[in-house]
Order: sequence, then C-alpha cells, then structure tokens
Amino acid sequence: MTASSILTSVRTPLKTAIQGVAANTYDSVPESPIVPFAAIVPNTPYLQPSFLGKGNVKLKVNLVMTVGVAIYDNQSALDNMEKLVISILAAIPSGYEVGDVSNPIPLNIGASEILACEIQLSTYYTQTN
Amino acid sequence: MATTVITGRDLAMTIATKNYDEQATSATLSADVTIETYDTLYSKAYKSIDSQWTFDVEMLADWGAADSLCEALWTAAESAPNTALAVSLTAVTGAVFSFNVLPIFPSVGGSSPDAQTVSMSFTVVGTPTETFS
Repeated sequence: MTASSILTSVRTPLKTAIQGVAANTYDSVPESPIVPFAAIVPNTPYLQPSFLGKGNVKLKVNLVMTVGVAIYDNQSALDNMEKLVISILAAIPSGYEVGDVSNPIPLNIGASEILACEIQLSTYYTQTN
Repeated sequence: MATTVITGRDLAMTIATKNYDEQATSATLSADVTIETYDTLYSKAYKSIDSQWTFDVEMLADWGAADSLCEALWTAAESAPNTALAVSLTAVTGAVFSFNVLPIFPSVGGSSPDAQTVSMSFTVVGTPTETFS
C-alpha cells in the first residue's frame, strides 16, 4: 500500500473540491498564478502534533487558501472577490475547519497587481504506512 | 539521577480493549482524596478516609466512524449503564494503570466552524491497579 501524504490526503482533495468554482487552483505556492485563482499554502504554525501516543504520526494541519482576482477596477474587483470567496466556502468539503477570511489587499505579482485575501483552514491528518 | 521527561506522546489508552489514541487529545486519571483533620489535645491528627478516582478524556468526536468510541459509549450508557468498562492507561512504557469506569453519554455537537470535540469525566469504580516494571 502506498504511504499517505499531506499532499494526497489533504491539499489535493481540497484543490479538487474547489476546481469547479475557481478558474485556476493550486495545491502549493504557485510561481506565477493566473487570476482568478485559489492557492492552498501552509499557515503558521503549519503542523501541530496534538494526539496521544506515538505509534502513528497524527497532526493538525493549518492551511491558508490565498484567493486572487484581477484589480482593473476597485468596485468590480471587490465584488468578484466576494463572489469567489463565497463560492469557495460553499465548495469546501466536510472535515475542514473554516476560519476567518482576511480583508482584501492589493498585491504585486511580477508585473501585475491583483486583489488577494486569505481563508484560514485546518484539518487533521494521520500518516499511514 | 538524570532528568526524566515523559509527554502525552508516551500515553496509550484503551477502553473496552480498543485503542483510541488517534482520537484522544488528553487523558487524565486523578484521585480526589478525602482527609479528615482531628484537633487533639496534643496536636493535629490526619486520617485519609476515602478516595474517589476520576478519568477525564478529551477527544475529537468520532460519530459515524468505524469502531466509534462515541457510539460505543452511547450504546453502553443506554443499554448497560451500570456495567463497568475496562480501561487501561499507559503513562509510559513500564507504568500501566488498569481500572473500570461506568459508561456515560458523550456530548453531541459543537461550535461552528471548529472540529467537534467531546470532554468526558468518567467515575472510576473502585481503585486503579498499577503495574510498574
């Protein structure tokens, strides 16, 4: 049996769940994301051991989903951001704790400026094999 | 002697012979000892007259899972509330405590959007037996 990993058990299922609502999805830090996008990246603290015993590695995994939209116009950018975030919140599968959504801030990525915000997410992971 | 450190990672817990380490975030066995104080003409005298043990467990709710502890406890509390369940708590390799608890109903639900958790305080029947090796 193939050993489990956080990528295959946590981040990729989350990415798959939101692929229907976000045009571009990433399960790691993208080098040059294409808007609109959602990227699942580690939060801090990232991995928290919180269970009894040491027979298996069992962790709380804290993630941030960074959501970005084009910022050609302030009003429409914020509207697009709100709609995208609400769609993502509805698509997040069970088993993930959904925390606060940060305020949108302009970000410069390469030569372009985007409007981005962060959704706090957590779940639990047990290593198998 | 060298400093010894044991942590929650050294703990192991079974209830009715099933291991629930993967769900439990805390397990504590403690005693409430009743000590009477007598004020004699000579001096104060102390006498331990009773001890009641308690087993406190905090865990993630596991309703719906295979071998669910929440479901097993609910069923036991409903169908056999006076039948004790055997518990084994290993503090660290070489220090094992065995005792019996009466089943109780686990709480259901929680606050949004956090993971549902259950805190249970079991009444221990009798006194734990220890195995030190």
